[in-house]
Amino acid sequence: MPGPLPIADAAPDVTPQGDVLEVVQRMLVDVIGPEYLIGLTIDLDTSFDADLELESLEFVALAERLLEYYGEAVDFVAWLATMELDDIIALTVGDLVTFIVTSTSTPDRYRFGLVHEGSESESASTATAR
Amino acid sequence: MPHLDANGLRFHMQALRAGDADDPERDPTTPRAKVVMIHGLVVDNLSSYYYTIANPMALVADTYLYDLRGHGRSDMPKTGYTVVNHVADLRSLLGAWDIDEPVHLVGSSFGGAIALAFTRLFPEKVASLILIEAHFANEGWGEYMAGTLALAAFGLDEDVVQEWIAENGTRKLNRLARHSERLFLETSMIDDLNQEQPMSHRVLEAIECPALAIYGDGSDILDRAHDLEDHIPHCELHIVPDCTHSVLFEATPFVRETVLDWVTRHHAGVPTAAAAQAAS
Repeated sequence: MPGPLPIADAAPDVTPQGDVLEVVQRMLVDVIGPEYLIGLTIDLDTSFDADLELESLEFVALAERLLEYYGEAVDFVAWLATMELDDIIALTVGDLVTFIVTSTSTPDRYRFGLVHEGSESESASTATAR
Repeated sequence: MPHLDANGLRFHMQALRAGDADDPERDPTTPRAKVVMIHGLVVDNLSSYYYTIANPMALVADTYLYDLRGHGRSDMPKTGYTVVNHVADLRSLLGAWDIDEPVHLVGSSFGGAIALAFTRLFPEKVASLILIEAHFANEGWGEYMAGTLALAAFGLDEDVVQEWIAENGTRKLNRLARHSERLFLETSMIDDLNQEQPMSHRVLEAIECPALAIYGDGSDILDRAHDLEDHIPHCELHIVPDCTHSVLFEATPFVRETVLDWVTRHHAGVPTAAAAQAAS
């Protein structure tokens, strides 16, 4: 049996960044498989290539899942189109989280606590509906 | 992961589109160009394009990527790895994507052989060809490709090799080795390649659509570049200095800008063979 999920043991981060980080962590576990992440911690400084050894197709899968979750407000195509190959290889979890937070954040969304009080699906529908 | 059923198999694919909001002056009734990208053999998959030219292309054109049969996350049937089999897959995928109009076909390495063969069989479906370090069958090509792959496969199933990979390989290397081993040893790919027939110059001379060819000056198949230039009636050739067969990765900005410019120039919402004829 795989061990516990490799998510940092710190107290829950209730900022938008912490919320998105949790989603990214969970999706990475799905994409890579928990058995490959035993002993690894995924935080904002984690590199997709150097630390996680993410396969290129796994990165594509991650982007696909995040697109499904957050909707078209998170425009991965336009974001990746601005990068050179070396930039993509050097991406960290923090870069991705910052991009998603920037893409999805609106004053109303967080002012009314929709993200933190709601479930995962509620958070997704909030982002998708815009 | 998005998949599509086509030609009796399940294909992993990406259909990319963006940029509408960035171009308010664009007439939404004008159809965008459609670009289909075909990758190379064995260790290659759609991510080669995803990481280089596909996303920038998707800002101006509807862009379709897929993993060839036996590659990436598509099905790996035991048989059916001839170029014509791959052409049939592509024809079926275009139907599954509901694409009726001619497309701009991008083929890299072995993907170029598929693009050329597809154009030969379905010329009305191709607006233009974009060939990046394209292989195509000349005399002895099938034997050469099969021999190269058989050499790569040699020893992969040996216990000592498997043990070394298990102990020393990274997760990526382990997966790559397992995938390659299955493709080499459990499918007819090598035998199928061994039987490929050469594509004659007359076939190249019959291609009516415009073609863009990009090769590195250090490419081991540079002779193909000159064959394309000499025999395809409307061929624009770029040979990139200080690059090899991996020009897509070694000169990504140049390839990206050249291919984007090409598609922009050759897309008018109609097949471009006539335009090329008029321009020549």
